Formats: sequence, structure tokens, C-alpha cells
Amino acid sequence: MFKFKSLIIPFAIYIILIAIGLSQPGLWQPIMYIMFYIGIGVALNNFMGLTGYVDFGYVAFLAMGAYGMGVALGYFTYLGIWAIPLGFVLALIFAALLCTAVGGVALRLRGAYFAIATIGVNEGLRYLIEGAKIWGGSEGIILSGKLRKTFGPEFANYLSTFVADAALIIIIFIASVITVYMINSRVGYALLAVREDEDAAKVMGINVTKYKLIAFFTSATIGAMIGASAWTLKLTYVFPEDVFFIHYTVEAIVIVMLGGAGTLLGPVVGGLIYGALKYYLSVILPGFQLLVFAPLLLVIVVAFPEGVVGFVKKKLQERGIIEYIT
Amino acid sequence: MLKVSKLESGYGEMQVLWGVDLEVKEKSITTVLGPNGAGKSTTLKAIFGIISPWNGMVEYFGEDVTKTPPHKKVEMGITMVPEGRHLFPNMTVEDNLLMGAYLSRAEEKFEDSLELVYTLFPRLKEREEQKAGTLSGGEQQMLAIGRALMTSPNLILMDEPSQGLAPKLVKEVFETIYKLKEEGLTILLVEQNVFSSLDISDYAYVLHEGKIAFGGSVDEIKESEDIKKAYLGV
Repeated sequence: MFKFKSLIIPFAIYIILIAIGLSQPGLWQPIMYIMFYIGIGVALNNFMGLTGYVDFGYVAFLAMGAYGMGVALGYFTYLGIWAIPLGFVLALIFAALLCTAVGGVALRLRGAYFAIATIGVNEGLRYLIEGAKIWGGSEGIILSGKLRKTFGPEFANYLSTFVADAALIIIIFIASVITVYMINSRVGYALLAVREDEDAAKVMGINVTKYKLIAFFTSATIGAMIGASAWTLKLTYVFPEDVFFIHYTVEAIVIVMLGGAGTLLGPVVGGLIYGALKYYLSVILPGFQLLVFAPLLLVIVVAFPEGVVGFVKKKLQERGIIEYIT
Repeated sequence: MLKVSKLESGYGEMQVLWGVDLEVKEKSITTVLGPNGAGKSTTLKAIFGIISPWNGMVEYFGEDVTKTPPHKKVEMGITMVPEGRHLFPNMTVEDNLLMGAYLSRAEEKFEDSLELVYTLFPRLKEREEQKAGTLSGGEQQMLAIGRALMTSPNLILMDEPSQGLAPKLVKEVFETIYKLKEEGLTILLVEQNVFSSLDISDYAYVLHEGKIAFGGSVDEIKESEDIKKAYLGV
């Protein structure tokens, strides 16, 4: 029943990207930069794309993940290598807690009200951590010294390069499988009804709150795993003003819309285009990238209102290849 | 089958229903009439649970379902055809019906329900592959009713099914509702179209400023000039 065929294209894209990164020495960092954007796109799409709700506080889940890993490595360093799995577990727990708090309250709101409420949660949480001096407050958690002392410089370096990147890649592969599963299962049909018309979903007997929470939870936990690996593990520090930076939420929303909300391939294509453009524009026109970027995005979004993948799907509707695009 | 007592509800701070009492008997058509703003749609929404009742009680076969959420009510055999139809315009007629049978209880009876829908509405069968948004108003209303039937309900709450339809189609919709009753279904109807709805109904209630002003058999309403003049403007 599951359309695993549709995983072929995204997986091929991931593998090609990784192969390019590995074979061209200078390209590994740009590739991981793009992979990060693909990751947050795929993660947010599991909620925004499938339910039609826009979450402007999404980055708070990445922040929870970053703090989960940060707390584990910073305060439980004596556990040695076990601090890393603990970090991922804490990332999940923190994200799940936030998800329950936000989901239980804000998911009762619709449309713009939900979006505004989620911004409030993100900013509120950041000022709570800074003001109440939780986990180092505004000074954040700095790990590089501790990691070096505990694991030795070589292994610490290995952690923030190989382990962090490998974790991100694995998370992205798993996230895509989850998306396919969600789209093609009963959950997916229920969410489709919710996205199209929430009142209609109710009269069909769909527990709309439950399915919205499932999507919210899935998306939040994947986001947290990305925060834990691509931020804390890789950068070896956690600063509240970085991890709660609303800019990342906006970028994730742009990626989802650019590629095609609610499709599997959409955020992959969106992340690829966005990440690559952003990286090379900042190299070619340092400081001016946003000036070029904004109108460019505007044109793309106007030209492809359903996203690049939505547009391609429409064009290919009658062809056999459509089976491979979800 | 359905008993509503002293139901109070509203939106935010604004109370709309001030104690609605009504009863729906099995295999009958019961209509709630009343002018705009009397609280007809609010009554249905509060019964179904789309808005929560503030006070009072809703009983279904003697069971208290006042606080039961809509999706559980659908499982118990209550469904609603919402005002304005709420179809999925970009999906085909068939897919709309398929979505209607989402619950596993409904899925088991999928074949039977689909046959019933296509017997009642042969035109939907002809337009199976067409997108719901491209149907005419009357056909869309048929599809909305059809989708509700796919949940294999006992009781259907209908919110102004004749709204926005041409007179000829209005007649057709009411004939269909009557056929549903003949199929053994129970219907609670909210309508502004006094004559057509009284023609097919067994019982009627007149809602006035959030309270039931009158309730009884259709014949009683038809005979009482006072009620017709005071509340129905006919």
C-alpha cells in the first residue's frame, strides 16, 4: 500500500549530494549547509504541509533539541560517550513537552491566530531562558572545552564533524520515510481532510485535534533531532539568541512553500534550491544576498503558487512518471 | 432517540441559546423553524458538539452525549450536513464519498452505503470522476448528503440544505430528505423554507430568540394561525 516508489527521487538526491560532498574536498561544508535546509523543510512540512497550519514558532523545537543535547553534554559530561544518546533522548523529551504545551493550547486556534500564538511561544521561551538564567541564561552553554577535556581533542573534533553530519543525514533519511508513511496512511487521509476543510473532517468522524497533534508531534521531534545534531553537536555551543532566531522559521516556511507544501519531494527541492542559492549568493555577493534573494523568491513563489513540485506534478499528471513523485 | 433539554450555548460571551428543549423520534423528520438569528444553526452545532453546550443536556438513546466530541458522535451514528456543504472541491465525487467512509465502522459498510448513495442520487454516479467543485449547486448538496450517508448514520442533522438553490432544486432536495426517512433514517432539519419543510416533516419546533416557542406535530402548526402569524410570517 505504501508508495515507497516515491522515495526513490528524494533518496537519489540525498545520495548524489553526499557523493558530491565526499568526492570534492571543498564541497562538504556547502553540501551539509544545503542538507540542513532540506532537513528543516522536510521536518516542518510534516506539520505545515500536511495540516495547512503555519507555525511561526517552529524554530523553538530546534532550540529544544539543541538544548537537550547541550544539557546532556554540558551537565552530564561524566557519562562519557553515553552523554550523546542521552542528548538525543533529552532533545525528544524537551520537544515533546513543548509540543504538548503548545499543541494543547494553540492548536485550538485556527489560521492567523495560531501563527501569532506560536511566535509568542518562541519569543516567550527565549526570554524565559535568558531572564531566569536557565541553562546558563543568555550566556548559553559552551561545550568545546568540556568536550576536549572529556574525550580528548581528536575525538571531540570527530564528534563535531563526522558524528554531527552523519546524524543529520540519518535524520533526514528517516524523516522522508516518515513523510511517505504519513501521506499514504489513514493519518494522511485524515490530515488531508483537515487541511481541505476542518469542519467537513469533523462531520466525517475524524478526531481533528488528534491528527493535528500527531503531525505536530512528528514535525517537532524531527526538528529537535536536527537542532541537536546540526547545531549543538556540530557547533559545540548553544546560545538562546541563535537557537530561537525566528529567521530559521521563516526560512523553513519559504522552503516548504517554494518546493510544494504537503508533498514528499517539495521540501527536498525547496531546501536544495534555497540552500544552494543562499550559499552561493553569499559567496558571489557577500552582504547583498538578501537583496537579490528576496525578489528572486518572490518571483518563484508567484510563478509556482503550489511550489515547484506541485507545478511539475500538474504538468506530468497523465504520465507514468507521476507514480514516482509524491 | 434524541432528547435535548434546557440547552444553552453561544459564541464567546454572547449567549444564543437560552434553554432549548426538543425531542427527535426515531424514523421521523423533525424540523426546527425560525427567523434569522433565532439560533437554529447554533442549536445543531451545540447538539453535534462543534460548539460546546454551556448548560443543559443532550441524550441519544438515553445516553448522555452532551460533552461527547463530534468524531465520537459520528461513531455512535450521528452525523451532520453542515451549512454551506463543506465539500472537498478539488477531489472527485467518488473521492469525496470515500472520505466520508473514513471511520472503520463506515468502511465495513462501504459497499452498501455507496450503493444507497448512487441509488438515491443517480446523477452522482454519472459524475463520479468529476471534481466536486465543478458540480452544480443542487448536485453539490446531493453530494454533501451522500457523504454524510457514507458514515452509515442513524441520525442526520441538516443545516439549511435548501440554502442558495433554485426553487426546482429545493423541491428535489426535500424529496430526497423524505426518501432518506423511508430508508429508515432519522432527520433533524433546520430550515428557513417553512412550507417545503413542513410538507415533509412529522414534527416541528419554532425557535424564537434562543428558546422553543412552540413544539408539536406538523398538523398542529398548520392549524394554528397564531403560530404561523407570530413566528413564521406566513
